Amino acid sequence: MNIDLFATLIALLTFFGIAALMAISLNLEYGVAGIPNFGQALFVSIGAYTTGVTYTRLLPLLAGQEAINPCGATLAPALQLRSEIMRTMPAVGLGNFVLTLLIAAVIGGVVGYAVSYIILRLKQEWYLALVLLVGGETVRIFVRGYQPIVCANNGISGIAGPFAWVGNTQTASILFALLVLAFAGAAYWYSEKLARSPYGRLLKAVRENEQVARSLGKNVARIRAQVMLIGSAIAAISGVLFALNIGFVSTNDYVVTLTLDVWVMVVLGGLGNNRGALLGALLITLMDRATAITAIQLNRLGTDIEFNYFRYILFGVILLLMLRYRPRGLLPETRFTTPAHQYLARSQETGDARSP
Amino acid sequence: MLEVHEIRKDFGGLRALDSVSLTVPAGQIVGLIGPNGSGKSTLLSVIAGMQPPTAGRILFDGEDITHAAPDTIFQLGLARGFQDPSLFFQMTVLDNVMLPVKRQRGEHPWYAPWRRFWNRQEMDNAVRAGDRLAQVKLHTQFDRRASDLSGGQMKLLEIARCTMGSPKLILLDEPTAGVAPALAYDIFRQIETLRQETGTTFLIVEHRLDLLFDFVDSVYVMHMGNVLAHGKPAEIETNLDVREVYFGD
Amino acid sequence: MTVTLLVDSLVRSVQVGSLYALMAIGLTLTMNVVRLPNFAHAEYITIGAYTALIVSLGVSSNPLLILGAAFLVTALVALGSHHAVFRPLEKHRTSTYTMLLASFAVGLILRYIVFLLADYFELFDRRIQIPLEVWYRSSVVILTNIFFWVVPTSIGLVIAFSLLLNRTPLGREMRALANNFDLARIIGIRVGRVVNLTWLLVGGLAGVAGALWGLYTSVNPLIGWFAILSVFAAAILGGLSSFPGTILGAYLVGLSENTLMQILNVTIGLDFSFKPAIPFIIIILVLLFRPQGFTEFLRSNRGLRR
Repeated sequence: MNIDLFATLIALLTFFGIAALMAISLNLEYGVAGIPNFGQALFVSIGAYTTGVTYTRLLPLLAGQEAINPCGATLAPALQLRSEIMRTMPAVGLGNFVLTLLIAAVIGGVVGYAVSYIILRLKQEWYLALVLLVGGETVRIFVRGYQPIVCANNGISGIAGPFAWVGNTQTASILFALLVLAFAGAAYWYSEKLARSPYGRLLKAVRENEQVARSLGKNVARIRAQVMLIGSAIAAISGVLFALNIGFVSTNDYVVTLTLDVWVMVVLGGLGNNRGALLGALLITLMDRATAITAIQLNRLGTDIEFNYFRYILFGVILLLMLRYRPRGLLPETRFTTPAHQYLARSQETGDARSP
Repeated sequence: MLEVHEIRKDFGGLRALDSVSLTVPAGQIVGLIGPNGSGKSTLLSVIAGMQPPTAGRILFDGEDITHAAPDTIFQLGLARGFQDPSLFFQMTVLDNVMLPVKRQRGEHPWYAPWRRFWNRQEMDNAVRAGDRLAQVKLHTQFDRRASDLSGGQMKLLEIARCTMGSPKLILLDEPTAGVAPALAYDIFRQIETLRQETGTTFLIVEHRLDLLFDFVDSVYVMHMGNVLAHGKPAEIETNLDVREVYFGD
Repeated sequence: MTVTLLVDSLVRSVQVGSLYALMAIGLTLTMNVVRLPNFAHAEYITIGAYTALIVSLGVSSNPLLILGAAFLVTALVALGSHHAVFRPLEKHRTSTYTMLLASFAVGLILRYIVFLLADYFELFDRRIQIPLEVWYRSSVVILTNIFFWVVPTSIGLVIAFSLLLNRTPLGREMRALANNFDLARIIGIRVGRVVNLTWLLVGGLAGVAGALWGLYTSVNPLIGWFAILSVFAAAILGGLSSFPGTILGAYLVGLSENTLMQILNVTIGLDFSFKPAIPFIIIILVLLFRPQGFTEFLRSNRGLRR
C-alpha cells in the first residue's frame, strides 16, 4: 500500500478542521441551546452551492471578463477560464473567496433564522427537525434537477482554493489546511466565549425550561432564532471550505448521511462541550478517512462489496450505542459558570468584587 | 398598580373564571384566597400572560397587558412566582438569581464574547445578587446546583429570584406550600421587608390563612371563578358567606 | 392541454394518492400510539418493496403471496426495531429528540443494509415481476392491471384498518392508549401487547405499501426515502391524528404532485424538476396557516384524539 504520509496528514487536518466547524455549530445549537437542528446537510450545501455559483459566475466578472456558462457545451472553456484566473490572479481569487464566505454566511444565517423563527413558534419542536431534514433533501433533489445552479447532476469541477496561485501544490494544501484550522479555531473561540458569558447562561436557561425563561422576561423565540442564525452561518462557511477542499460541487456530497455524521460527532464527543465537539470531529474524521482508504483498497483488490455502506451502518450503530449507554457523550458538559461566581467569592472574602 | 376588569377564562366547555375584577394598589400586599378549584392559579396565569383571557381587561401600571406575552409583562415590571419550584435545577444558585436581571449587556450574542463589554455590569449584578441571597441566607450556597437545595431553600431562592428583576409587582402562588411553619413565617417576613424597603407590591395566593391575615392589607376571596368578597382581614374573617364556603358553616 | 394528459395525470394521482394514504396511516399510528416521529418509516417501505422484489424474482409471481410476504417481513422488522432500539431507550426516559435521533439512526442502518444486499445481489432498479396487462382501454385512458392492484388493495387495507380501529377490541385499546397512556395501563389494558401489535401493523402496512409502490416504479434502496416527504405531508395534513384527514391529505398530495404539476407545466412552463418541492411547500403552508390540518374540518370520531 502506497500512502504519502505527509499528504495524508495534511488532508486529515483539513477534513478535521471542516468537521470541527460543523460540530461546533451543532454543539452550540443543540448542546448549549437545546435546539435540535437536523439541517446540517441543508446549511452545508447552501455554502457549497454558493461556492459553485460564485466561482463560475462571479469570479470571471471580478477578473474583468465575461462569465461563461459552466454547463453543457461551454463546460471546457469555462473550466479553463476559472482555473487560469485562480492560478494567475491571486488578488481576484482571494477577493472571490472572501465574497463567497460572506454571501454563504448571510444566506445560511438568514435561512436558519427564518426557518427557526417560523417553525419554533408553532407546534412541537420536532417539526423543525423534520422540516430541516427533508428540506435539505428537497433542496438537494431540486438542485440536482435544475440546471442553472451547479449543472444539475454533473456538478461543477475545478473549484480551486484561494492558494491556487502558489506554484507548489503541497505548499498550497498546507496553507489551505492552516486557513481551515484558523476558521475552526475562531469558531471554537467564539463558541467558548459565548458559552461562558451571560448569553451562555441565558441559553442554558432556555434549554432547560423555556416557559420559565419566558416568564422571566426572555424572548425565547428570538433567542433561538439568533442561535440558529449563528449556527447556520458557521455551517454554511464550513460548506464553502468543504467544496474548496475537494475541488468540486456536487449534490451527491450533501445527502442525509452528512447530517448523521455531524450528530454522531456531537453525541460521541459530548453535548454542550466544545472540546467534546472537537473530539467527536476528530474521531469521526479518522474513522471516515480510515473507511474511505479501506474501501479504495478493497475495491482495488476486486472485492464485490461496497465498503462505504458499512461505514454508514457503523456510524448509525455508534450513535445508537452512545444514545443508549452514554447519552452525555465522552466528555461531559462543563459547568459553564460565568465569571460572576468568582466575583462573588472574591467580594465575600475581601469585601470587594473588583480584581486588583 | 394592577387592575383586573371582568376577566373570563374558558377552557373549551369549562369556565374557570367567570367575571373576576380586582385591584391591587401600589405598595400593598394583597391576599387571594379561596377553596381549591376556585380559579386562583388560573387567574395568576392569565395575569402573567401565560394564558389569554377569553374576555376582560388587565391594566398594569396604566398599560394594557391583557394579551401581552409573558416576557413583555416581565419587562414591564410584573414578576410571577410559581407554585411548584420553577428554578433552573441544572444551574447554580447564583446563575438562577442573575438570570432575571434586565438589560444585561452580556446577553447579546454579538457582545457576549468580549468580556470587557459586560464585565462591570456583571460584577455589580453579582454583588447585588449576593446581597439578595444574604437576605434569604443563601449567600454561602451560591455555587451549588439548585437541585441540591432543600425544599425550603428552593422556595426562598425562588422569591429572591423574583425580586432580582426589580419588579414593581410580584405574583406569588402559595409561597409557603409544604414549608415548615417557622420558615413560612420567615418567608412572609421577607415579603414584608421587601415591601418596606423597595415598595414592591404583592398579590399572594395562600392557604395558610392565619399567616396571611397577619401580613396583608386586604384580601380577595374567590369561589367558583368569581370574587366572592373583598376586605380587610378582620372583615373577611367574620364574613358569613366566606365562612360558609370555607368551613361549611 | 390534451384530455389524455389530464386523465393520465388523474390516474397517476389516484394511484399515488392511494399509496400515500397507506403509508401515511402507519406513520400517524406510530405518532399516536407510540408517540414517536419515526424517521425509519421510509425504510420499512423500502424493505417491503425489496421483499416483494425478491419473492417475485425467486419464488412466485402470485401477487397475494408477494404482498403477504412483504407484510410479514416488514412487520417483523418494525417490531424488531422497537424491541432492539426504541423500547430500551424509552425505559431510560429519554427526550423526544433522542428518540428522533435514534429513529433516524435506525432508518439509516436499515437503508444501508438494504444497499449492501442490493449491491451484492445486483438488485438495483429492478421491477417486480408481475406481467403487465392492459385491463381497460378507452379513448381517453388506459388502465393496466397494476392500477387495479394498487388502488383497490390500498383502499381496501385502509378501510380494513379503519374497521379494526373502530370496531374491534384491539382498536379500542389502541385508541385508549393514544388518548391517555398512563390511564390505559391503570384500567388494565395490556400495554405491551397492544404496542407490539401496533408495531406489527405499522410495519405490515408500510411493507405492503412498499410492495405496491414497487409495482408502480422500479425498486431501489432509496424508494422509501423518496416517498417519505410526501407521506409526511399527507400525515401532517391529517393533523397527525385524524385518519380520514390523513387519507384526504394523501390524495391531495398525490393530486398536487401529478395533476397540479402537469397543469403548471403546461400553463406556465414549470419544470418537472420542481416536483420534489411540492410536498415540502405543502408542509410549510400547513404549519404556517393551519397547523391542525384537516382534523376539525372533518369533525370525525374516527381519529385518535379529540
